[in-house]
Amino acid sequence: MGGAPEETIVKFEDIKKSYMIGAQEVPVLKGVSLSVEKGEFVGIMGVSGSGKSTMLNILGLLDVPTGGRYILNGRLVENLSDDELAELRNISIGFIFQSFNLFPHLSVEQNIEVPMVYGEIPSRKRREIAKSLAERVGLGHRLKHKPSELSGGECQRIAIARALGNNPAFLLADEPTGNLDEKTSHEILELFHELHARNQMTLVMVTHNILLEKDFDRVIYLRDGRLSSKDEFRGSGG
Amino acid sequence: MFVHDLFKLSFHNLLLHKIRSFLTSLGIIFGVGSVISMLAISEGAKRQALSQIEALGIDKIIVYSKPVPQVGKDVSDSSTQSFLESYGLLRKDLGHIKDMDNVATVTTLRNTRKKILRGTKQLDVILVSTSTTFLQDSGSDITNGRWLSPADEAHSAAVCVIGRNVKRKLFFLGEAVLGGRVKVGNAVFKVVGIMENNLGTQFPELNSPNDMIVIPESTSNAFFGFSSFQSEGRRRFQTTYVEADLFIVKVRELEYIDDTARRIVSFLEKSHSRDKDWGVTVPLDLLKQREQTQNIFTIVMSSIAGISLIVGGVGIMNIMLANVYERRKEIGTRRALGAKKKDILFQFLIETVFLTTLGGMLGIVLGIGISEVVTKYAAWPTIYSVWSIAISLFIACFVGIVFGTYPAWKAAQQNPIDVLRSE
Ligand SMILES: Nc1ncnc2c1ncn2[C@@H]1O[C@H](COP(=O)(O)OP(=O)(O)OP(=O)(O)O)[C@@H](O)[C@H]1O
Ligand SMILES: [Mg+2]
Repeated sequence: MGGAPEETIVKFEDIKKSYMIGAQEVPVLKGVSLSVEKGEFVGIMGVSGSGKSTMLNILGLLDVPTGGRYILNGRLVENLSDDELAELRNISIGFIFQSFNLFPHLSVEQNIEVPMVYGEIPSRKRREIAKSLAERVGLGHRLKHKPSELSGGECQRIAIARALGNNPAFLLADEPTGNLDEKTSHEILELFHELHARNQMTLVMVTHNILLEKDFDRVIYLRDGRLSSKDEFRGSGG
Repeated sequence: MFVHDLFKLSFHNLLLHKIRSFLTSLGIIFGVGSVISMLAISEGAKRQALSQIEALGIDKIIVYSKPVPQVGKDVSDSSTQSFLESYGLLRKDLGHIKDMDNVATVTTLRNTRKKILRGTKQLDVILVSTSTTFLQDSGSDITNGRWLSPADEAHSAAVCVIGRNVKRKLFFLGEAVLGGRVKVGNAVFKVVGIMENNLGTQFPELNSPNDMIVIPESTSNAFFGFSSFQSEGRRRFQTTYVEADLFIVKVRELEYIDDTARRIVSFLEKSHSRDKDWGVTVPLDLLKQREQTQNIFTIVMSSIAGISLIVGGVGIMNIMLANVYERRKEIGTRRALGAKKKDILFQFLIETVFLTTLGGMLGIVLGIGISEVVTKYAAWPTIYSVWSIAISLFIACFVGIVFGTYPAWKAAQQNPIDVLRSE
């Protein structure tokens, strides 16, 4: 990383998550401790069912841990109210989904505006930002189109543009290229790299694709709900 | 989230499914439609009743003859069956009533019970005799020609004034009516005027002035006397003897009208002790009764409207719950992008209120339509006011809030992660 003093954005202290299935408690995360510094590009890898999405959802304040402490930007998350969590999701976090989750009835422009609507940015300003973001992801000419008129790669670009609306401190992406072919995946990854390099944005991305390992500043390997080493991961992943 | 963005969003969602939104709000449309038309009809009926009663004048007491069943006396001989029927108010009753304290004037009316024919067809028209005060006391007007004059009375002139409907029943279209002739048995009367009653006046046991042929009292006595003779079949005769059918008693002091009516009743009870062949009504009392009946009608109609609004509301709640389920992914995504619980709550609540309010507006149009149709085809007067429209809109809004709150709350309670996982 660069020479600037490192600033911790995310800190997990022995985070646990378990689900109740009937009367039985099923642990998914069994005590994960880690931190992510400002400007890092972190990959999360692991076999299916190892708890990657669960961890990312906790990181993104979409889910709450059942044990341990999560400190986001110096604030203890368990002390935050529902409204405060929503506000943080809105302003500090950009979330990108595997299946894009665009609103099918809204145009590209309106889709990008949604987080800004919840952030109470006046409509004219919103439109300006939406336009410049669309241009930035290379889709400035598609503002009035509906998502159904776009390709998968284009949809994901729009979803990324949408995540950037309120200029969040960090971006979370759960298998953002999982539904895309290799070439398109590569283009999306290029976009992430550009955001990372140009804006010093902090990025955390879940992926299955072992070829992407080299793209990250750091990779977190998850195995059966715990952090594991690269070698261990290689050993179990086959 | 800005309020105007919230409104825009809810409105946008509503317009996405126009047909579904319309079908969903049908219950509200009909509910509000029935509220509007109910209020219009009952308000119209109220005004009409009022104007009818006011037309007769609240300072009047109506005294009338009432046929009594099986009062006929068998006066048959060997070859024919004959019945004599005699009942009702007498001329000496008139004398007594006229002399009472608070009584100003009395207008009398007698039905001659003569059959009025056009060709061989009997018409639904009555031939009555009355005094010159009748026109005013019945709330009628002369549209053509003139009213009966004191000279007609003095000379027992063979003239008549016919009601608006009689003209249509008795004369051809375009035929000269004034100066025309009305034949009753052997008697012939010249038409001197046409009268019209627009207040819907109906006298007990008699028709509306519009269905009357009116002749002077002296003329009637000269031509027909007091008995009317009707034959039924070849060997059966019926004679009816009635001296007077109606007294319109006008009082001096309205304050004592009930007292005067009571004295008339007790007098008639004494003098007609055998049969109750008379009746007394006070329009003022009718007015009070009418108001009570009106209130009952309004309560019943409101209950019906209320039930249809509840049914409509439950229907909307049902659809909105399905809607919330169907859109759980949208809700989850919105929450992930920073929507607060209350943003989601208000989005759905406002959508429901929009739906019911728009339904309410259509309902108002429907209600006004129904009222117009009722007025046109059933000839019932209807009156709708700004007030009734405002109250309907308020009700529609209220139904939206009541039945939209639960689905909206349900939407806001959705856990974003459960929702996003359900793909
Ligand atoms: N709501 C839930 N209730 C019960 N079990 C759950 C729930 N959510 C996740 N799990 C379980 O937790 C485990 C981890 O799930 P998670 O989605 O985090 O895996 P993952 O690493 O993202 O897998 P994949 O690569 O297939 O996406 C799985 O065994 C899953 O069945
Ligand atoms: Mg996953």
